[in-house]
Amino acid sequence: MATLPSGLPDLVAEAEDLTRFITQTNHFNSTMAKPAAFLPNPKYRNTSVFRCGPDPELILQTWQKTNLGDRPLKAAATCKAGDVRKAGLDAIAKEPPPAHANLEGWPWFANDPDLQKAKQLELAQSIAQKSVLVSVAFP
Amino acid sequence: MFGYAVAQGNVRGSTAVSPEAQTIRDAVTAVVERAEQSQALFGAKAASISQLQAMVNECSQPNWDGEDAVAINPIAVFLTEQFVRALPDAIPLPEFAPEPDGSITLDWIPSHHRMFSVSVGASARLAYAWLDGSDKGHAVARFEGDRVPKRIIDGIAAIMNHGYVTLRTA
Repeated sequence: MATLPSGLPDLVAEAEDLTRFITQTNHFNSTMAKPAAFLPNPKYRNTSVFRCGPDPELILQTWQKTNLGDRPLKAAATCKAGDVRKAGLDAIAKEPPPAHANLEGWPWFANDPDLQKAKQLELAQSIAQKSVLVSVAFP
Repeated sequence: MFGYAVAQGNVRGSTAVSPEAQTIRDAVTAVVERAEQSQALFGAKAASISQLQAMVNECSQPNWDGEDAVAINPIAVFLTEQFVRALPDAIPLPEFAPEPDGSITLDWIPSHHRMFSVSVGASARLAYAWLDGSDKGHAVARFEGDRVPKRIIDGIAAIMNHGYVTLRTA
């Protein structure tokens, strides 16, 4: 198996933790990350995540290494790659930045963007259900 | 407003005892109770729309998430406000969340395993999805601006009432 510049394997294992950085306070409530936190960016058609676990220290270290670091981090949500795949998406490593990956495979229906959004919401709910909200704030 | 204040005074200060006076008193009491319920509801919806506006202010510029998100669409904001105002009184008010394409998600999340989400964008067709344990699904419904589609009302009620639809929609 090939190794990436970060030292991580190029294939994301089922048991790996994936962390979604949350920079918007409306993307989580007191108990969980909301589905919208996981919806794909329309330009890149994927959702950016990092291959690190729920340890707040590790999340902060990873956050500080990214280009997003000038934006306040409000929280993080962690889920297993296996749960992402069970929902019907895939986790694909994409460096740089170090330990970065994308959630790929979101549905895109050119002839019905509303139905496309409905299906994307259903997938985002499945991931939100399995994710764990991590309380971190930086700075 | 002055008439309402007078009516409130009549209800709370009246000592009338004749049958006619009692009938009038009962009618005025009903009007006052109705007005107070409306005020409480209006206040809750106004607070909800204020929360929406605060979120919109945070997401009114492109790249609000640092990942090239689209600014919140003003049409989505308008439709969301209409949606909130059109919600039946018995439906709890939603939580809001911005979407990376400029739409707005309205969430009802009673637990990790039960949730109902409606996406409001620039179209009158509303995308929605639900999760209830292992049961899940998605669909689209048209919103005419003054009445929330019955399928959405029933879906929210089912999620919030643990599977039992107890609401009557007009």
